[in-house]
Amino acid sequence: MERKIVIDPVTRVEGHGRVTVHLDKQGKVENAFFHIVEFRGFERFIQGHPYWEAPLLVQRLCGICPVSHHLAAAKAIDQIAGLDPEDLSPTATKLRRLLHFGQVFQSHALHFFYLASPDLLFGLDAPREKRNVVEVAISNKELAKKGILMRKFGQEVIKAIAGKKIHGIAAVPGGVHKTLFEDERQEFLTEGDIPSVYTMITWTKEMVDFIKSYHNQNYKWLDEFASFPSGHLGLVTPKGELELYEGRMRAIDADGNKTLNDVPTDDYIKYFTEGVEKWSYMKFPYLLDYGRDKGWNRVGPLARLNVADRISTPLAQKELEEFKSYSGNKPCNSTMHSHWARLIEMLYCAEEMKILLEDESILGEDLLREGTRRPEGIGIIEAPRGTLIHHYQVDKKGMITKCNLIVSTTHNNEAMNQAVKWVSKKVLDKKKEISEGMLNQVEIAIRAFDPCLSCATHALGKMPLKMEVFDSEDRLILEKEKNTL
Amino acid sequence: MRPVELNSSRTVLIGIGNSSRSDDGMGWAFVEDIEKSSSFKGLSYLRYQLQIEDADLIKEFDHVIFVDSTQEITEAGYYWKECKPGDEIEFSTHALSPNTVLGLCEQVYKRTPRSFILGIQGYDWELKEGISDKARENLDNALKGFKERFLDDSQYIAA
Repeated sequence: MERKIVIDPVTRVEGHGRVTVHLDKQGKVENAFFHIVEFRGFERFIQGHPYWEAPLLVQRLCGICPVSHHLAAAKAIDQIAGLDPEDLSPTATKLRRLLHFGQVFQSHALHFFYLASPDLLFGLDAPREKRNVVEVAISNKELAKKGILMRKFGQEVIKAIAGKKIHGIAAVPGGVHKTLFEDERQEFLTEGDIPSVYTMITWTKEMVDFIKSYHNQNYKWLDEFASFPSGHLGLVTPKGELELYEGRMRAIDADGNKTLNDVPTDDYIKYFTEGVEKWSYMKFPYLLDYGRDKGWNRVGPLARLNVADRISTPLAQKELEEFKSYSGNKPCNSTMHSHWARLIEMLYCAEEMKILLEDESILGEDLLREGTRRPEGIGIIEAPRGTLIHHYQVDKKGMITKCNLIVSTTHNNEAMNQAVKWVSKKVLDKKKEISEGMLNQVEIAIRAFDPCLSCATHALGKMPLKMEVFDSEDRLILEKEKNTL
Repeated sequence: MRPVELNSSRTVLIGIGNSSRSDDGMGWAFVEDIEKSSSFKGLSYLRYQLQIEDADLIKEFDHVIFVDSTQEITEAGYYWKECKPGDEIEFSTHALSPNTVLGLCEQVYKRTPRSFILGIQGYDWELKEGISDKARENLDNALKGFKERFLDDSQYIAA
């Protein structure tokens, strides 16, 4: 009798998703799918709005990373306003970059402490009631406290630049709304209610040392778990360095050969398209030249470190060298190494924030530039989870007529499906009993991608959990419903 | 505890939700209305969803009130219940519960402010602005009940 095991939803990722595993009559995994059940419709929602509203409206797409959408949209409307990134004032660019680094830093901190650490600290077969951040706090109070304060640091950077943490206004067409004041700058340079940026660097370095030590003790499962060859995509500077705000698009295949050779972001549509599958609302982006099967890429910290030649900040660069040397200076295709890569990126962000905060010119008041209207704008940045694309077209009145968004998690759609298949085959094949630990392993693989599957939907009791098992004739033989909140 | 003791500078009111998703915006609408009334003596905040750093926020207070929309079917259109630390297992950071935030506060800071959850029943969760008429009625009832019970010094209603 065939059994279809359903894990619904994936735990501890942003929003929710659904995994179905299909077994054949011998109990062997035949296939596995990661279903995205959320349909957002934002691209239609924003049509008809004036272009200058886009950076505000898109913040409401997702309460987890509103700043990423805000900045990507801002870059797009800069172009509609007649300005390219190099046309903005140095002060405005520095403030936007500081905002972005603050956002990535706090997002990575959240993922590591809240999502990944229960997996890493308690192991693959830990009981469900142990796999949460309260247990992390019980077993390692200092780690939990640092995680909270690192999140708080990033959030306070966002608040200082945008005016407030929610619905803040940072970027406007051609620049930014507000400068940074000296007392605000000093809050981040000195110890107080918020630790200083220097403490952020120290703590992040400790986290990188932790993950390396953890890897040394657990390298077998970390190297092999959910590992599969893939392409990798990210932004780089003209010198080939890691770049999160403004750069060129680079992709490599699993062996390190370039499949996208540092192309301008404005040309993205010449190289990418999106496939669809009937079992998921989420699309599958891929490189046109390589087709649906070979042209898909991972995005996010692991991909970014793979495509970059180096990192411009010293401590992170040293860590990158060690990271790359572990895989023989070839692309790392070990999914669990995403956690390691994520922490190296946190260190890079902390170092970059230090540089920007120590630069007094960030207090400048030259915040805006003006240009001549264009009918179209494209904004691409590296959000915490990967490459984020915002593309708008407007009519003569400046009203948005067309919008195309490719969010980071969409790029990773195929990679997450591959990870689910890998784990399913390894842990569920021909097993007579399915333990919760086995099911958790499928989720561990997905969590490594730090996916964000929904958009700021939060209501108590909104997301009931459901698990379904079907026999070979698609009859429901087991149903389990769990209430959240 | 007398109901009016919640109305103090040592109380924090946290509205949770997304005003761009119809009835999911009731947490914010509730807090914004209370802020306008100027009779609430505590502090108030808005959140898309609770995050781990909110454990750091609530440690500063003696009482915490979390306000959010709910899909639960309620008799009065809303419910009011005490929030206990770490009672529930989390499945998504998109839904970091008040209980988990309180549990984190207890473990990390050794503080457990007395906390409550006000859940207001909603019906429409689509991507659009504006609360549905039916949910608006529940919101108004919740506001009326809250103000009468906690903000009106002339009435002491048994908890």
